[in-house]
Amino acid sequence: MSVALEASRVTTPHDRRTTTIGAIMIGLGLFIAVVFGLVVPSWAHSQLTFDPINTAVHAPWHLGALTVETRWTDTLLGLVAVALGVEVVLRHPRRAMSRFGATSILFLLALLLWASRTSGPATVNFVDLTAVLVGSSSLAMVLIYGSLSGVLCERAGVVNIAIEGQFIAGAFLGSMIESVTNNFWLATLAGALAGAFFGWILAFLALRYMSDQIIVGVVIVTLLAALSSYLNLQVLTPYPQFNLGNLAPNLAIPLLYKIPVLGPVLFNQTGFFYFAIVLIAVISFGLFRTRWGLRVRAVGEHPKAAESVGINVVATRYRNVIMGGAVAGIGGVSFMATQGQFQPGYTSGFGYIALAALIFGRWTPSGAVVASVLFGISSYLAGNLQGYSVPIPTEILGMFPYLITIAVVAGLIGRVRPPAADGVPYQRS
Amino acid sequence: MSTESITTAPRASWWRRLYTQSPTLLAGLAIALGIVVGAFVIIFTSPVVLRSWRHIFSSGGAILSALKITVDNVGAAYRAMFTGSVISPTLLWHSLTTGHGWTTTLTPLSETLTYATPLLIASIGVGIAFQTGIFNIGANGQAQMGGIGGAAVGSMIHVPMVIHLPLTLLAGILGGVLVGLVPGLLKAYTGAHEVIVTLMFNYVVAAFLIFSVLSTALQQPGQSNDISRTIDASAQLPPLFGVASGLRVSYGIFVAAAVIVFAWWFLERSSLGFEFRVTGQNPQAARASGISPRFIIIAVFCVSGGLAGLAGTVQMQSTTHYIDGGFLIGNAGIGFTAITVALLGRNKPVGIMWGALLFAALGVGGRAMQAATGIPLDLATIIQSFVVLLVATPVMITEIFRLRNVETQRIQLATQGWGS
Repeated sequence: MSVALEASRVTTPHDRRTTTIGAIMIGLGLFIAVVFGLVVPSWAHSQLTFDPINTAVHAPWHLGALTVETRWTDTLLGLVAVALGVEVVLRHPRRAMSRFGATSILFLLALLLWASRTSGPATVNFVDLTAVLVGSSSLAMVLIYGSLSGVLCERAGVVNIAIEGQFIAGAFLGSMIESVTNNFWLATLAGALAGAFFGWILAFLALRYMSDQIIVGVVIVTLLAALSSYLNLQVLTPYPQFNLGNLAPNLAIPLLYKIPVLGPVLFNQTGFFYFAIVLIAVISFGLFRTRWGLRVRAVGEHPKAAESVGINVVATRYRNVIMGGAVAGIGGVSFMATQGQFQPGYTSGFGYIALAALIFGRWTPSGAVVASVLFGISSYLAGNLQGYSVPIPTEILGMFPYLITIAVVAGLIGRVRPPAADGVPYQRS
Repeated sequence: MSTESITTAPRASWWRRLYTQSPTLLAGLAIALGIVVGAFVIIFTSPVVLRSWRHIFSSGGAILSALKITVDNVGAAYRAMFTGSVISPTLLWHSLTTGHGWTTTLTPLSETLTYATPLLIASIGVGIAFQTGIFNIGANGQAQMGGIGGAAVGSMIHVPMVIHLPLTLLAGILGGVLVGLVPGLLKAYTGAHEVIVTLMFNYVVAAFLIFSVLSTALQQPGQSNDISRTIDASAQLPPLFGVASGLRVSYGIFVAAAVIVFAWWFLERSSLGFEFRVTGQNPQAARASGISPRFIIIAVFCVSGGLAGLAGTVQMQSTTHYIDGGFLIGNAGIGFTAITVALLGRNKPVGIMWGALLFAALGVGGRAMQAATGIPLDLATIIQSFVVLLVATPVMITEIFRLRNVETQRIQLATQGWGS
């Protein structure tokens, strides 16, 4: 067996890709070590604090601030990244992508430390690590909903590029229903129904009339962007009571939420966050461990073969696209529930970033989650770094999530294989 | 259809010809349906109209008055749209009888042409990409970069008009090519799907636009706002009837006309255009006959991006003469409308011309409608989206209207899935 492994190790294109990933990791590591580390003057210090944000009233714990020397800490972080890269290049571990993810997190941490550097230990500028993680987690949650929606649709062979539109629909309707009924359950239901409806439209046009899925998806997004902007002016502006923008309450899990740092991030969140985690587990299990999942994957990979063993391809696709729409709709509600009042255009391309997370995660729920977390952190930092002393204009920083998305889609960090029948219309012969 | 032509009279009636000329008929029906849907959107969001329907069971005349209120409201909106984008009959009569006020009378038409000009150019770029099976959804970013390039050359170089004007147009084209080239290269060499990449570039360029108009090189001196320098008079596309006429329609329409002729020649007569179309219709056949798919992808993004960039700079040179942070942002954007125009015009230059005029009228009229009735301008985009959803699913229109003998042509991109 080891011989077979050895033989397969030499030639596959997968192998070359792993080497590329490793090389990129080494490059990133050197960049951290030199630019964020060695070049920094030795007087510079960075301070990390860990104060809980959302349990501030009765904070169960207080951790003292951690002050480090920026130069040597970042150099160390960079060297760890280099070591990980060298390991990937030499050993070609199966989980190379997760090591790449770790390197990206090291990069972001080093960037944060570097951005908050100040002279001497008595600093005003500091990084509240807990706040960063909590802020990133709510963005990551929205991306998780979006990319899980993508998993459901694309595993069945339909490209759902309308996720952004379903976000908008969910956020709009969710905000309205929540404001009227003051009930997040009903808002979630309404958002799910709205998303499912637009999923059905996509499925109807793509499956019944074989329209191009991408054109239809893009047009659905534009339609919803225009419709929500129209309704915002016609309904929400004159009647602000329909758009209160209440945030969903945090539901602290007893005892667990008291864990330092991790507690606020994982165990003191809104119901949407916990539901996302349940959804990850359900979809992973369903897709890879149940008969339903096997059928869905068969439909996405080889619809003709699936049909020949009695699976109804069109019905499976309808079902999955509608479910995917519902998940994205809930994602829209969760965005509203954590970011506040609906405004036209405030999802700012998150639906497309979720698609990129899906591609980065190789169409698996777990991969999509890891990618969503990475994208969530980088989106949060891009939006919040201007408070620090970063010599980069805000506009340029704002480009980063989109540039990373491009790099992912271009396969610059590893090519990926989509489900074979993804986006191909199915015609029963 | 073939049996039809044998059995009918030698020359079919104009009605029958219209009826069987599928593209025109389908587009017309799609537009009609879009306008009907727009009417329903107005009805369901106007409090006055909804209130009138609440009491229809209370008395016999209530239903009639509710109908009247509905028709009045929808009518007022669409009337404002028409008079704001084409011509107002009363003003025309006034001008014809008195010989005065021509500026006010012709302003709507002039505005429609002014908006149609860049839209037409960008749409032809998108259409050429569609004919090659490529979905260029980044026309807006490419046009913005064209505007940035045009504004830079137009305001920083000072040469006579004969050189300056073409040079500024060229800078716009180059800006568009630059932004279009990256997705093209990525698609050609890594297989990255152009839709995501061009979409993301729209966000990237929008951020770069703010950055550039705030930069010392481009920012209007003495200003702290996000506004660029004004380009020299020698780089401007002057108004067609002179500045004194008060009409904004400019010499840009000749640029648009040249683009139509170029696109026709390019697609129908040039060998590169032929290769584009072959690739779009059958990529395998194209590859088998020795056409390099990589070269075609890169070339089509250059052509498409270049035209979008030209559209952006023409917009800037003929209207504002400067760019600001809101240049082609949001409702002012032309990228999405260009896609709908290209689909509506079946990616053919002449079809696109009619589509651009129609959707420019819709946009300009939408503005007038918003001013007159308070109904948001977004209605125009809603109607456009419906129209293009219908145009993208022609079979549905034939089913709704129970049409027979109408040939439908499915629009399909060359690459499906993520193609990497």
